[in-house]
Amino acid sequence: MTPSRRSFLMAAAALSAAVATPEMVRAAAALDAAESADWAIATRDVEDDVARRAMRLVHGRAPAGLSGALYRNGPGKFRRPGGSATHWFDGDGLIRAFRVEDGQATLEARFADTPKRRWESEIDAVVTPGFGTKGDDRAKVGSNDDANAANTAVMVAGDQVWALWEAGSPLAMESSDLSSRGFVALRDDLKGMPFQPHPRYDPDGTVWNVGLAGDRAVIWRLNPDRSLNDARIVRLPRASYMHDFTATDRHLILVLQPWLFERHGAPVISGLAWRPEQGTQVMVLDKDDLTKSRIYELPGFFHFHLGDAWAEGDGAIRFDVAASADPRFAVDGARVLVEGHGVVPGDPARLALITLRPDGRAEMFTSAAVGEFPKSDPRRAGLARSLTVHTAGETRGRPLPTGLAVQDWTAGRSQGFDFGGHQIVEETVFVPKPGATAEKEAWLVGPSINLREGRTELHVYDAAHVDDGPVATWAADIALPAGFHGVWAG
Amino acid sequence: MKTLAPIAALAAAAVVSAPAFAADLTVAFPAAASQGRIMVALFDSEANYGGEGQPARHAVVDAAAGETRVVFEGLPDGDYAIRAFHDLNGDGRMNTNPFGMPIEPYAFSNNAVGVMGPATWERAKFAAAAAAAVQTIDLK
Repeated sequence: MTPSRRSFLMAAAALSAAVATPEMVRAAAALDAAESADWAIATRDVEDDVARRAMRLVHGRAPAGLSGALYRNGPGKFRRPGGSATHWFDGDGLIRAFRVEDGQATLEARFADTPKRRWESEIDAVVTPGFGTKGDDRAKVGSNDDANAANTAVMVAGDQVWALWEAGSPLAMESSDLSSRGFVALRDDLKGMPFQPHPRYDPDGTVWNVGLAGDRAVIWRLNPDRSLNDARIVRLPRASYMHDFTATDRHLILVLQPWLFERHGAPVISGLAWRPEQGTQVMVLDKDDLTKSRIYELPGFFHFHLGDAWAEGDGAIRFDVAASADPRFAVDGARVLVEGHGVVPGDPARLALITLRPDGRAEMFTSAAVGEFPKSDPRRAGLARSLTVHTAGETRGRPLPTGLAVQDWTAGRSQGFDFGGHQIVEETVFVPKPGATAEKEAWLVGPSINLREGRTELHVYDAAHVDDGPVATWAADIALPAGFHGVWAG
Repeated sequence: MKTLAPIAALAAAAVVSAPAFAADLTVAFPAAASQGRIMVALFDSEANYGGEGQPARHAVVDAAAGETRVVFEGLPDGDYAIRAFHDLNGDGRMNTNPFGMPIEPYAFSNNAVGVMGPATWERAKFAAAAAAAVQTIDLK
């Protein structure tokens, strides 16, 4: 539509024998703009695996002692000639490794080798039903792992990294070269049970996770070596869409929002109904006895992500959440992001602190901090803490982060840094400084997409001085689409 | 003339008593693990395949003993479809995980796949004809 309208305008100007008027030039430019927004690169397609390449230090100095790898996951391929994904959450998983050693940084990225990607590559069409993509009858889905996009998060498991997705098994990949090794079955009779993208860690290294099927959840407990300790089915009071969960050192916390599965269909969002009048239920389970649980009630709100929880001295449980009023972004915003132009529906989330009191009351305090992708100090997972790092700068219509901030819940203060509109900042994680124990004795490490330079960058900030901006920035020679979640392996 | 009539009668009798076509169908599972048993059900109509009736034939392939194929002999001409699963633990049932997903390998004729369910009759059906038919199935 658009190229022919533009050429019509230009042809009309020529026919009228007048020089193209400023109005006509502006109209043609506006039509060009409708083709793709400045942020469209955030959902671009990557065609092939990205071989390991050096990144160039373009700002500051690499901190001495920073050594390790940031593994991240996110959708890297959406569109094919025979059919395309129509939702941000349905692209093929592209696992990225940013490796930092002796002041040098490298970047490599490899697609998760899934049955979905193999079939869709063979017929060169995206046909598999997903979270927002309807799919069609060319799909081959004999089980949930046939639809597994392996695109949401990544966790470390010995010499492997596991690519995680909401509704299926982890996909094992070699850490050294990101080659895929196949889906993980933690026990033969649990093959295909869902393993969600946000596992939580105990101080002793035990891994907890959940997987959902309607109003039933599987609670996973893994040993520090990632072997299965236990898997238990728990009944939930409602069938909510739940992307994340949280935990203290002693309790698991499931936030059951009023976005409810009223039926199961393709795509997933077609079966979900928003019922805010039913409020949000927070279910707290005793890690030592999963039959013991308690339900708290809060007003209805929407969320994807929670922060690590902790218990206060009086037994109150606290955790933070990136909260929104409704699921508009999940339904429409994430669709527009893949379309690559226009105004993105949905208001940006804001950080809120939830307190669950021993007497059964629950409170939610919404801060002024706009942001998403909350992360905190891994040394304090499940334990008392003050700080949450989160993306920042999202605005209505353009909910793409332009910076990051550190929320201090104890001091009631936020410190942040904003790059400006030419950067799309991604999730940034705490990397404790070697040998240090104080919460602020850490770096913050995370990538961005530099829209002006058309490249992916990796930034390191000092957690105690995030408002100074990055202490080091490396630049890649390519721009990868935006990722979701990652983990630092030191 | 006198000898023709008995020969003609014999020929006529032969045509009437033989079946219209009779196919032998070989069903092979070349990649199956040498463990347990493969349960094979052969259906001769969409309704039966869909669960409204019984299989026309069924067989158990002793994978643990190294068997990998079964032959169904003398099938009347027509369309058929196969459902098969590999009973690895020998309990006679297709086992599932706690959320109801099959955890033992299974497959359908033509290696047809459904969308979060069994392959349809349309995708799984094949014709048993006079010439010997072979279905090579990859259990997943």
